[in-house]
Amino acid sequence: MKRNRPFDDEFLRVRVVLAVMMLFFLVLGGRLWHVQVTRGPSFEQDQLKQSLRRVRLPGVRGRLFDRHGEIVADNRPSYTVSIYLEELRQPGKWEKTINRVEALVQELEGVLGVPASLSREEIRTHIHRRLPLPLVAWRDLGPEAVARFAEQAGRKPGVEIQAESVRVYPFKRAAAHALGYVGRADIEQNEEEPYHYYLPEVAGRSGLEKVLDPYLRGEEGGRLLRVDATGYRRYDFKQREPQPGRDVMLTMDMRIQQIAERVLGEDAGSVVVLDPRNGDVLALASNPGFDPNEFVPSIPARLWETLNTDERAPMLNRAVAGGYAPGSTFKTVTALAGLESGRCDPNEHHNCPGYFQLGRATFRCWYHAGHGSIPLRRAIEQSCNIYFFHMGLEIGQPRLHEMATRMGLGAKTGIDLDFEIAGLVPDDRWKRRTQNDAWRDGDTCNVSIGQGALVVTPLQMASLTSVIANGGKLYRPRLVRGVREFGDGPFSQQPPEVVRDMNWDPAHIQLVREGMRDVVNGTRGTARRVALPGISIAGKTGTAEFGRKDERKRHAWMIAFAPFDAPRYAVALLVDEGISGGETAAPRMRELMRGIFEADDSEARG
Amino acid sequence: MRSGTHIVAAWKRMDWLTAASMFALVVVGILFIFSASHQDDAQLSELTQRQIVWALAGIAVFFGAVAMDYRSAGRVAWAVYAGCIVLLLLLFVIGKKVHGATSWMSLFGIQLQPSELAKLGTILLLARFLSEPARDVAHLRSLGIALALVGLPFLLILQQPDFGTASTLLPLALAMLFVAGLPLRYIAIVAIVGAMAAVPGWFLLDDYQRERVLVFFDPGRDPRGTGWNSIQSGIAVGSGGWTGKGYMMGTQNILGFLPRTVAPTDFIFSVIAEETGFVGSAVLLLLFAVLLAGCIRAALASRDKFGRLLAVGVAALLFFHVFVNMAMTVGLVPITGLPLPLVSYGGSFMICTMAGLGLVQSVYARRFRR
Repeated sequence: MKRNRPFDDEFLRVRVVLAVMMLFFLVLGGRLWHVQVTRGPSFEQDQLKQSLRRVRLPGVRGRLFDRHGEIVADNRPSYTVSIYLEELRQPGKWEKTINRVEALVQELEGVLGVPASLSREEIRTHIHRRLPLPLVAWRDLGPEAVARFAEQAGRKPGVEIQAESVRVYPFKRAAAHALGYVGRADIEQNEEEPYHYYLPEVAGRSGLEKVLDPYLRGEEGGRLLRVDATGYRRYDFKQREPQPGRDVMLTMDMRIQQIAERVLGEDAGSVVVLDPRNGDVLALASNPGFDPNEFVPSIPARLWETLNTDERAPMLNRAVAGGYAPGSTFKTVTALAGLESGRCDPNEHHNCPGYFQLGRATFRCWYHAGHGSIPLRRAIEQSCNIYFFHMGLEIGQPRLHEMATRMGLGAKTGIDLDFEIAGLVPDDRWKRRTQNDAWRDGDTCNVSIGQGALVVTPLQMASLTSVIANGGKLYRPRLVRGVREFGDGPFSQQPPEVVRDMNWDPAHIQLVREGMRDVVNGTRGTARRVALPGISIAGKTGTAEFGRKDERKRHAWMIAFAPFDAPRYAVALLVDEGISGGETAAPRMRELMRGIFEADDSEARG
Repeated sequence: MRSGTHIVAAWKRMDWLTAASMFALVVVGILFIFSASHQDDAQLSELTQRQIVWALAGIAVFFGAVAMDYRSAGRVAWAVYAGCIVLLLLLFVIGKKVHGATSWMSLFGIQLQPSELAKLGTILLLARFLSEPARDVAHLRSLGIALALVGLPFLLILQQPDFGTASTLLPLALAMLFVAGLPLRYIAIVAIVGAMAAVPGWFLLDDYQRERVLVFFDPGRDPRGTGWNSIQSGIAVGSGGWTGKGYMMGTQNILGFLPRTVAPTDFIFSVIAEETGFVGSAVLLLLFAVLLAGCIRAALASRDKFGRLLAVGVAALLFFHVFVNMAMTVGLVPITGLPLPLVSYGGSFMICTMAGLGLVQSVYARRFRR
């Protein structure tokens, strides 16, 4: 083949075309290298970010048991009907899907007979914010509604009935203040790996539910979802199982708790029963109360409003947060302070003419006719004010203050409950600070008989009774007996905690205890009506005036322990407004003691 | 009988390496159309089935074209061209509007895209016109006619409007004119005029086209709208990494971030790149390089100018498609609706590509004949 110049040129040009094409391919190849190899990992991240969703799975909450293994806070399945919006997706705009969902909700309202109260706006928000999660349309359906659903709507696409775990308190109102309640809380978000979808967490809001929350709360689990471009859930990627919380055994005895609440009846007040051998809280009652079941799954706003504006303060846990003057029950403290000071002889007699003159002021004994000349033991039995005025003035405010403080007054007991108050044992410094006035002998007289500025809680008085009952060991009142992993294994055993050893002279404490026995069993005791055949009970009544003098309002107290020789129960009983300790509190104490020992007997026999 | 032996002889003299890469690309296309259109069941998707049919039809057309003497195609070039123009005009009458462009028609029960045919028709006529004896492209009248031959279908396709397909005519015309001996100064003039035309051209573009260009320079401009495909195809290709996520494991595609409507067609390369990584993309690029080199080889081996121009035209057309299609997924050029030859789903383009490659093979197979 002959070739002339233009032909050569043409072949060259063909080669140039190829060269240009290959040059472009090289550029493209380089770009692919850059995008896929150099920047690959960053694109991979973008890809994960747009298609992965983290879902939080709540852990089951641990349960609470009483000392006999009765469940006091449990979980129960709550039937929830949820709508899966993805499955109802209509082509086109989301509004069409919302229409479909609304039609379905209406139809189901007919089947269930329960309104759903789902607004269009709520549906829309759910679509935008948490599409792959079910939209909860009905919560906590009753058994009839569940049955009707299963019968008539069980196979409808896009609807499902589910059991959600919610809290239940089988004893209803019993021990409500101590147990507390749970509420919905927002979850903690980890900034690096936030949850896209979650249901509100259940958290302890009050009482033991709150204090023991670190034990009870389960450990969250998680699920990784793959979602597609429109937010539809495609498949589960990974799952970490949630862990249930731990079970807690309480020291409480629900039988005693229920008796305690029964003796309070309709009256506002509080009962605390401790075991003087170890500080176990056997009962902790406060009246009026509430039913924590009504707070599940969430507290109805109106109920909450009612409970918090009620004058009788049903939400107040009087046992630990109610401050009262102890009245004559405090005379036990004065007696011990006097004896321990070494300045008072128990056999010394003081004469009670029914009044006591201090300078120009006159203090009266509650028994206006006067007790006559009596020794300490009689003074305790008959609760003579005049005797304790003499004793208080003899030893002075500092010794009284020291004894009261050592026995646990004026400070929190450290019980595992929230809102506990410290109360008040007044002294010179306190008076100067608050009233800009010096401590006077009149103040000492008032404090000696449990009046004046003294403030105590029923729990503090129960604890004080317990120290007297056991002869001088102050325990921290405890509510938790043991903890275990969720299930039915054995509970760990927590040892009791001694706060302080009083190191009292045995003769002194014995004398006070005997005085208290006389209160119940003596011929002139103020609480003779407490006496029960076969059980030796010792105690002390108290009547504390409060409010304006002319209103004549009185707190009615009684503290008691039994059996006298080896006490197993130490009780403080308070009625907010009563006639007197002897009349209002004592009969209830008798009722309580009888109930406790009957239960004791049946247990011993059973 | 004689023609029978001619046919067999032509097939025997084909460039089998180039043909092999062509077949390989068709198979890759079918595999990844299956991957891109795969639903939950294990069955072949309808799309895959249809692509197999198109591929078989294309292969038949290919072998038919190889068997045919390309010069006989040259003889009917004017008729083919005229036919294409008539079809393009017919679109204004019986065309169907799909995605904003009237580029489809139904003729005797067959769905076809006349613009695909027109590309081939234009190459054929341009090759014939430029290879006429004593034709000198340096001569303004010849150049003018040549440009008019390209300009007519270009404008008609632009009216659909399908800017992408219309634009494919420009590089092939340029390549063919260049090989036909277009003086370099003209090319310089074209470059300058082109640059100057770009400014008023900007205002001639439709809003959506302008938006596409803007998004090209700033994909975050509207991530849920126009920029979506650009961002998502970038993520798909990029997250493929070295070796990809595995066949049928491309999450961008499975999860619909790459829209289902475009994954098997214009964005098939994103699917391949995500599932096979850089290694796969490089192999794909290599297959196309072999294919294009094969066309150039045919051009060089051609015994006449017509064959040479024909092969260069087909090569330029395919090159433009391949480059733009792959480059748009990695942000080198704006998003346009140009399919990847032999690989993307689509019948008209598959058959036209096969016909073009068949003609190129016909050129090669007849290299020694007199």
